Amino acid sequence: MAEASKAPDKKEDVSRRRIFSWLASVGLFGSAALAAVSDWLFFKPQVTYGPSARFAIGKPDEFPPGTRISRDVERVCIVREGNRLAAISTTCTHLGCIVGISDTGFSCPCHGSRYDQDGTVTGGPAPKPLPWFKVTLAPNGELEVDKNTQVNPGTYFTV
Amino acid sequence: MSTATQEPKTKSPGMWGALRQIPADIWSSVFRNPLPSNDLERSSTSFTNFFLHIHPVKVHKNTLRPIYTLGLGLMSLFLFLILVVTGILLMFYYVPSTTQAYDRMLDLRGTVAFGIFLRNMHRWSAHGMVAMVFLHMCRVFLTGAYKKPREFNWVIGVVLLLVTLFLSFTGYLLPWDQLAFWAITVGTAIAGYAPFVGKQMQFVLLGDTTVGQEALLRFYVLHVAVLPVVLVLLIAIHFWRIRKDGGLSRPEAAPGPLVKVRMELQKKVYGLQGFVRGPFTKIGNVPDESVYSWPNLLMAELLVLVLTVSAILVVSLLFNAPLEQPVNVMHPPNPAKAPWYFLGLQEMVSYSAFWGGIGVPTIFVLLLLAAPYIDRSPKGVGKWFARERLLANTIFLTLAVVNVIFIIIGTFFRGPNWTFVSPF
Repeated sequence: MAEASKAPDKKEDVSRRRIFSWLASVGLFGSAALAAVSDWLFFKPQVTYGPSARFAIGKPDEFPPGTRISRDVERVCIVREGNRLAAISTTCTHLGCIVGISDTGFSCPCHGSRYDQDGTVTGGPAPKPLPWFKVTLAPNGELEVDKNTQVNPGTYFTV
Repeated sequence: MSTATQEPKTKSPGMWGALRQIPADIWSSVFRNPLPSNDLERSSTSFTNFFLHIHPVKVHKNTLRPIYTLGLGLMSLFLFLILVVTGILLMFYYVPSTTQAYDRMLDLRGTVAFGIFLRNMHRWSAHGMVAMVFLHMCRVFLTGAYKKPREFNWVIGVVLLLVTLFLSFTGYLLPWDQLAFWAITVGTAIAGYAPFVGKQMQFVLLGDTTVGQEALLRFYVLHVAVLPVVLVLLIAIHFWRIRKDGGLSRPEAAPGPLVKVRMELQKKVYGLQGFVRGPFTKIGNVPDESVYSWPNLLMAELLVLVLTVSAILVVSLLFNAPLEQPVNVMHPPNPAKAPWYFLGLQEMVSYSAFWGGIGVPTIFVLLLLAAPYIDRSPKGVGKWFARERLLANTIFLTLAVVNVIFIIIGTFFRGPNWTFVSPF
């Protein structure tokens, strides 16, 4: 091989090697990123086996005016005042313990958060008021609570 | 080898002689060395045995001073080994199911031979390991042992502490009792406060919106498979780095008038000494401050092992691991408390969930990880509470003591609704 053609050859070799190593790095980091995304998708369940977020609680007559009943399985408190009815969450907004009904509203046994009758924070570390959930009347005459839909506190369902 | 040297001297051994030789042949095929009686054999023993060759042939005298290391790192390792053994045994009887897990705990207590004892050992070793890893970290900091060239091993050590805590966190959901359920409810809710990805992370960790069967299964897999493998790998790197970083930290040797040979230039291994970075004091006429690992280091390690195992055995015989009521998702215990090592966190969380649960711990961990790169002064290595390190030691001790105070408040001074109570 002539001396003259050797130098450019060598130069080309280096740049080709560079391109390949660059492609290899893209491939490596690309597949690592893809693996991370697919891992995340794998670990994020599409179906959950816990209790349904939308459930029936019974006919309106079962909740006479003045009722404050905590339904601990579904973690809501059903409040009825006159002909108005609401579902307030009993999951503490601080760290997810179940708040108990107290004389002044709700109180949490875990870290001492306190709420008034409407779920507004009155003390302790809770950062947010207890959310209110949408209540509707199903065609079969039963009340339904939908925990996926929050309503503004003070929004009652009129029976 | 031994038969080859014997043969010329003796007559043909005959069949009985050959048969009688078999046990010795087998023994020498397993152990290449006789029990060492001279320095060459001592070196060779450490060198040729799979389990012993993790040690250097010789170690510096400082390594063996009990008052310097207090054996805390070794105790952490031995507790981890106890945890692996007892944990695997417990797995034979445990079922990660919300309907069966608690019954299996009762079975361990009532029907399985040594079941309660194994569970006690597992629980108390777990508590002990968290404490020992923490104390080991304090020792390393207060003796300045994290400084160059050991910065990265310190970083691995901090990660080891976090993995240890996460292992214990995943472990205490498994009995499916009240403590387990509410501690995990609170703990994963803390994860939910992380910015941007918090809620998603909480959902993926639990596999559901609330703590239930999915969470139990996920925590089980993390606890018995994923995290132990991560921990073993990190421990291996941690130990390997001790050797590669030149053994345990020690005070700088008094500078002698003798020739210092830099190993980088030598590129040769002398005798059976390992190849280490930095000035290599063995070469030249520097006084030899090292002793043979066999038997000096091995005896020290054996002593720590015996002490650790007997302490766990005694504690497990005297005290039973707590088991609360089965999970009642409707009634959290009041107050709902995490185990002691998370009570400092829980106390901080009672002031502010974000700052107590995410902000302050994150800052603290970042500070720990960055410590060897911030504190770059090479002075005060290998000595407890060195004067040169007064500032660094004061900052570290303050943070450590504050954490301990928070733990004490959370443990003894918090009553129902997390109100302040007096234990007296």
